[in-house]
Amino acid sequence: MSSPSPPKSPVLLTSLSSAALLDGAGDLSLPREMRGTTVDWGGVMGQCVRLTGPWRVSLRSGERETTLPETLVSAERIRGGWRSHHRWGGYDLVQTIAAVGEVPGVVRSLDFARTEGTSADLTVVSSFAPFLLPVLVEGLRPCSFQLQTEADDLRIRQRGFGLAVTSNVAPSELLLNRASWIGGKYRGRVDELAIEYPLDVPVARTVAWRSLIYGGLERDIEPATALARGVVGEPSAAIGAVAGADEHWLAAAPVLRFPDAPALEGAYRSACAALRRLYSSPGDGLVGLVAGYPWYSAIWGRDLAWMLWAVLWVGDFEWASRSIDSVLRFQSRSRVPILGGEPGELAMQVSPGPIFFYGTSDTTLYYPLLIDGLLRHSGGPAPGPDRLRALRDMIAWGEGRTDPATGLLRNGGEAEEISTATASLARVRAGINSPDTTIWDSTDRRDHAVDIQVLWYRSLRAAASLVGTSPDHESDRWCALADRTAEAIRSRYRWDEEGYLYDSIRGGAPVGQLRPNALRAVSAGLLDPAFTKTVVRRAARDDLTTSWGLRTLSSSDPKYDPVAYHDGEVWTIATAWAADAALVAGEADLGWRYLSTIADRYDREAGWANECYRGDRDAPFDSCFLLGFSVAPFLTVLFERLWGLYVDARLPLLRVSPRFPASWRSASIDRLRFGHGVVALDWTPARLRVTWEGPGDLAVDVGAGPVAVASGTPCDLPWPTS
Amino acid sequence: MDVGSHHPGGLLSLLRQGLTIGVQFGTQSLEALLWVAQSIEEGIYADGSLRRTPDGIAFELDNPILRVGAFSDLSLRVNGTQVPGDRVRLRSGEGTEWRLGSSIRRDAPWELRPGDRSEFEVQGSFGHDTDPITVRIELRTPAIPPVVWFEFTEKPVQEGAAR
Repeated sequence: MSSPSPPKSPVLLTSLSSAALLDGAGDLSLPREMRGTTVDWGGVMGQCVRLTGPWRVSLRSGERETTLPETLVSAERIRGGWRSHHRWGGYDLVQTIAAVGEVPGVVRSLDFARTEGTSADLTVVSSFAPFLLPVLVEGLRPCSFQLQTEADDLRIRQRGFGLAVTSNVAPSELLLNRASWIGGKYRGRVDELAIEYPLDVPVARTVAWRSLIYGGLERDIEPATALARGVVGEPSAAIGAVAGADEHWLAAAPVLRFPDAPALEGAYRSACAALRRLYSSPGDGLVGLVAGYPWYSAIWGRDLAWMLWAVLWVGDFEWASRSIDSVLRFQSRSRVPILGGEPGELAMQVSPGPIFFYGTSDTTLYYPLLIDGLLRHSGGPAPGPDRLRALRDMIAWGEGRTDPATGLLRNGGEAEEISTATASLARVRAGINSPDTTIWDSTDRRDHAVDIQVLWYRSLRAAASLVGTSPDHESDRWCALADRTAEAIRSRYRWDEEGYLYDSIRGGAPVGQLRPNALRAVSAGLLDPAFTKTVVRRAARDDLTTSWGLRTLSSSDPKYDPVAYHDGEVWTIATAWAADAALVAGEADLGWRYLSTIADRYDREAGWANECYRGDRDAPFDSCFLLGFSVAPFLTVLFERLWGLYVDARLPLLRVSPRFPASWRSASIDRLRFGHGVVALDWTPARLRVTWEGPGDLAVDVGAGPVAVASGTPCDLPWPTS
Repeated sequence: MDVGSHHPGGLLSLLRQGLTIGVQFGTQSLEALLWVAQSIEEGIYADGSLRRTPDGIAFELDNPILRVGAFSDLSLRVNGTQVPGDRVRLRSGEGTEWRLGSSIRRDAPWELRPGDRSEFEVQGSFGHDTDPITVRIELRTPAIPPVVWFEFTEKPVQEGAAR
């Protein structure tokens, strides 16, 4: 039977602790271009550990044999999973694949039916290569494993990482590296493992084969054994639980309507659904969102920060708070050079183990802003002593990297420090010569990248606001430092020849590279109105802006390379920055065009948004098909800039100053969570209708000063005439 | 395998840092970090594969060097000395074709995926008998330009000797 063309878009199934990656052609296989070569990312992930490579199923009956993709008839998404229909040799097969959360794994079932002929023996052959290494180590597949059979289950271990396979049918044969294995214990190289399951399929009766692969941390497998057997015995409850939690979350998210831009409305829904796929609670008490799929599926401090802004806007304050706590738990309290950690620093990456690393120049700076943001959205409670101490340590970390004369924070040298620290310690050594670790961490932006300074300024301001007045006047000191940093951005980075901002200052001299990062200064409101517009319009020229988004470096720069990750590729997050800055600058149509560029992605990419695209054509390259960076900033811009919302539930105050295109006639938001209440907004060019459901009155400012809106009574506020 | 010299100061520093991690984050973290470190340490170089050949040395890798990708540049140093690319040949394993290190270019990259093995043969004179040899490999891909490197020091076995 000829196989239909597989869907072009990846299929990603996730629970809070596991993921299945597949291409929709019938197996858990997902070949993806990565760093210029093709890598098959199909398989099972559990607890941020890549458990398996591609997980394939073949069928054998008598002398005949086939792979599952060869038998594919059709496929569809179902509630909580993915289903495919197959036909082969008189059998009708229905396959269901789902990521489950009760145990961190993926369940796969095949229901066989035979409508004619006689009862027949069938063998299901399930095969995969074990990986058993956290996804962060992208290039390695361990060679040596420990295998053990236990009753009808199989366990595989690689150091402290492990997986188990349990099925509803007892296996008849095990094949290790294509040779028969009697079972028991084995230690050594494993390139492929195949398990054969015999089935007797009578006519007119459905026979099911189900298999669950789960794991991550080896120590968590044994306690999950009974649950795993329950899931493989009857998986519908576990699948339904994941689907139910997703549906509940989506039902609680705000509803945005843009009657004049239905594609944007659809993109918002897709982005929310995509963001939900990144939610993760992989074990060891960790809560957060993974950075992306396939190869950044761990909790990265920087990526999480960008995502939590959107999580706050969609109203999931509890998840944001628990995520912040997860990151603060790994705040370094002392110098740990082998992990790149300095006192007060927050981790670059965290995954179960717990495994964590430091060594970025920006991750720590996001969290004062997030703590402040959480407080403004939720209304409280005010940060307790632990959070305030963590906050002070973050700022102290930043102050330690700041030149007191200029107020500029130093970035760079972090990876080099780790390399130096480990130089004489290991029997073999490996490393990556990254000179710098800003958000564009594969290029050299030392010593004072402009966006890092903007972030430092904002972080200081947020921290000062959070601690308020104190006997040692720390907030005054932080505000003064923030002012000095802001002044340095305005005076030392101004690049008049380009009408833009320099990318960095190195050795005291400005670095004349044109990157989108300068737009963050616009969004922070640090530039005067005229120069703000100049910068935004310069970024819109075609050396930086393409029809598919913003390049990470101007195409006129000698260092530009269209396939270089941070020296030429187009990034969706950079496009979101451009939209943000354009809307701040009052360039509504330009901002709208940038947003449309991102919105179109969701439609073309079946609900996902790629990490990055080539700089010379609209084609993903070296790109995760889903990245929080590509989803969350887009969502945040819709709320903060297109709708122009500012919230402070402590007061409570809601400011609204929309920047919709001039042709729009209506837009609305329902179910926007605000403190302990919800607010609905209905916009027309003439007025804003506000409906507040919550305690007390809500002060709403549409540009003419705050107006008290009583709970339960819609209130129309006219737009002030300018 | 000779693991090279461990600097006492470095070991004490490691011990202090290990204790710090254990005290602040728990011994489970310390253990898990070691799992990763050991997986990397033992996952790349094929233990005991360094051997002398009639023309120089040979060794094997079980995995890419940290990163996957299409690599456009290969640089190899033995005992600190750069070996010209036309004196390095490599292949993906038995039965695959050898190619010269100098043939690796942007338009003819060397592609490595997780679990891909590599065999290297290097021509030259590198010390004597079982003197320890330090090999450093550096790779670069246009997709992510920073150099990825790997270095090991080991006493080679003579060609034909059992590992």
